[in-house]
Amino acid sequence: MAQVVVVTSGKGGVGKTTSSAAFATGLAQAGKKTVVIDFDVGLRNLDLIMGVERRVVFDIVNVISGEAKLNQALIRDKRVDTLSILPASQTRDKDALTKEGVATIIEELSKDFDFILCDSPAGIEKGAMLALYFADQAVVVTNPEVSSVRDSDRILGVLQSKSKRAEEKKDPVKEHLLVTRYDPARVERGEMLKLEDVQDILRIPLLGVIPESESVLKASNTGNPVILDGESQAGQAYKDAVARFLGEDRPMRFIEAEKRGFFSRLFGGRAA
Amino acid sequence: MSSPASEARLEPFRLRGANFNLLVLRLLDPRVEVIVPALADQFRRAPGFLRNAPIVLGLDDLDPVAAPDFNDLTAQLRAVQIAPIGTTGGGPELRAAAQAAGLPPLRAAGGETPQPIAQPAPVPIPEPLPPSGWQPTLVVDQAVRAGQRIWAQGGDLVVRGTVNPGAEVIADGNVHVYGTLRGRAIAGGADNLNARIFALNFEPELVSIAGYYAVRDGLGDAPLGRPVQVCLIGESMRFDRLG
Repeated sequence: MAQVVVVTSGKGGVGKTTSSAAFATGLAQAGKKTVVIDFDVGLRNLDLIMGVERRVVFDIVNVISGEAKLNQALIRDKRVDTLSILPASQTRDKDALTKEGVATIIEELSKDFDFILCDSPAGIEKGAMLALYFADQAVVVTNPEVSSVRDSDRILGVLQSKSKRAEEKKDPVKEHLLVTRYDPARVERGEMLKLEDVQDILRIPLLGVIPESESVLKASNTGNPVILDGESQAGQAYKDAVARFLGEDRPMRFIEAEKRGFFSRLFGGRAA
Repeated sequence: MSSPASEARLEPFRLRGANFNLLVLRLLDPRVEVIVPALADQFRRAPGFLRNAPIVLGLDDLDPVAAPDFNDLTAQLRAVQIAPIGTTGGGPELRAAAQAAGLPPLRAAGGETPQPIAQPAPVPIPEPLPPSGWQPTLVVDQAVRAGQRIWAQGGDLVVRGTVNPGAEVIADGNVHVYGTLRGRAIAGGADNLNARIFALNFEPELVSIAGYYAVRDGLGDAPLGRPVQVCLIGESMRFDRLG
């Protein structure tokens, strides 16, 4: 049986799609057969970040409405062969998604894959609800700022009450906290919430901390998931997070501000 | 989705079984002129306790052949605002006599008849009942998250986790938070001025008791970040450190 994992946050722009792309790629690199579904119908982005936008023919809405077979809509990743992408539709809106349609797709994908990642849209409307409804596990992406923490808290409440597992009174959805865009220097200056403050409110196990990094934007723009950039701190942090997700014990990195030496202060070098 | 109004037009009524808790007035003496003054005496201390209360007459302890005058009894009980609605137990003659006076025999749930008592005892005073509509304490073991609202209707609320910003915990009685209270806590419903709020770590957005409220900016010198009890003194809120 495949594990259904939703990547969600409530708030927009915190890095859900970046994290979905990195996570899916990381799981696939670890040898797991992984498919990542873009639930953001109408505002699809995942295909861009995965660099497959030119190969999209059919999408999830075509499959639900019976215009295409699931196999026709799935896009095989060219970098990691155990990875597939099911893109969202650009032209339709979220009402085109139905619970029965999504259920059928997830059931069918369960036969062939180990992990089904659902990249949730922002908000708590229909698309987000459907993305999390079937989840066995949830990766809650949060930025170290109050509004993002508040929205993540809201989503956790929804997961505990509106998911299929909650409705069927099964074991609750397993929750993981992924703090993204963390800048230890700004935390030290009091401009960002401390990691402990975020954890104090959300109170779910910490899966990883992704440092703010210029390499993320670069990776998104070139369509390469940042986890493939082994040089960047963000890429390494995602690799750690995926390893922890698969049960490995790794220490948290990149959560302390770097002590900048005299020369780096003089020449203003920045962490990649 | 059909509205209740349109449903009502299709279907004028529904017949449903339901269980009720009723007081049984067990008659130990058939004489009406003895029963009614004794009742009045018994309840003088709590006037109105049985006012308009539906009551079932228990016939088990009566002599099967000496039936009381049920018409007279009913009228006199109604005069002191007690409404007999039926009988329980007793022999066939007693039941027939009662039925003739408009008091049908009721069967206790499970078909069990109450045990007859051997010795004449004073009219049993029921345990003082809590105010009507009282509910047991609602206990929440998890964190209450943003957007969630928990209402302990007609009782107290105990939250073992934290109440996060954007969450709301409401009780008609007291609110206890054995974590950090960061959201809103509302105690006392609309009129319970004696309700209180307790929090192990007091960082609320808003606290309210019986409609009086204080927002975070209005908390003044309340001991934030400490264990605190909030209560109402007159029209102002008082914040006391606990422990």
